[in-house]
Amino acid sequence: MRLARELTCAQIVELVTAYLEGALEPDDRERFEEHLVFCDGCDRYLEQMRLTIDVTGRLEPGELPPALEERLLEAFRGWRSG
Amino acid sequence: MIAYKFLNEEGVAPFTGFRWPVGDWVEADHVDPCSGGIHACRLRDLPIWMGRELWEIELDGEVVELERKLVAPRGRLLRRISEWNDELLEGFARFCAGRTREQVGFLPILSGFVGDVDRFVVQRRFPIAGFAAARAAELRDGPGAYERERLVQAAWLAERLGLGVPAA
Repeated sequence: MRLARELTCAQIVELVTAYLEGALEPDDRERFEEHLVFCDGCDRYLEQMRLTIDVTGRLEPGELPPALEERLLEAFRGWRSG
Repeated sequence: MIAYKFLNEEGVAPFTGFRWPVGDWVEADHVDPCSGGIHACRLRDLPIWMGRELWEIELDGEVVELERKLVAPRGRLLRRISEWNDELLEGFARFCAGRTREQVGFLPILSGFVGDVDRFVVQRRFPIAGFAAARAAELRDGPGAYERERLVQAAWLAERLGLGVPAA
């Protein structure tokens, strides 16, 4: 038996992007935040996601070494054609 | 209206990162159950939202009462409740462990909760001790028991904080 309003850790992982984008319905947002109060693992996961978004959001294209950029583009082209 | 608000260290809101000033009115852009407004707790909501610092907050304007929180257009922090500290929280977790033992310790299918909550006490994971105790009660007696157990927990906290009796 599970409380109708109780979210599992797996659901939290699935919903984390929507939560960070403010796209959850009010009820779901509240259930999400309730879970964070008692679940240290999910709380840490959310913080890691926030940090990742923060760090990657500050990356400038010019900061990528040309060789690495070329390798990434090559891999991307290979993925698109494969 | 006087209510309560949990914040992280140095008065930072846990979900929004907003740093609350003490004594100054804070206005919300709009009031919406979750995405906007000043959010606060009644006494009965305390065990649901347990955080590092507990503050007394004055709410003003049309306060919306939701199942597990209040939402208002304006609020100001009045004082930090210093009695909300590790000693109180450890006592709370021990209380939850005792309740779990009383309620499900004799039921083989649920007695695992007793060890779980005892472990949470040792690990100082206090909010989950309250959650697990309420969950054990729910599994024994149905969904209403979850809410009843949370109310018992709220009453325990409110009494020790000298804040009165939580309304059901």
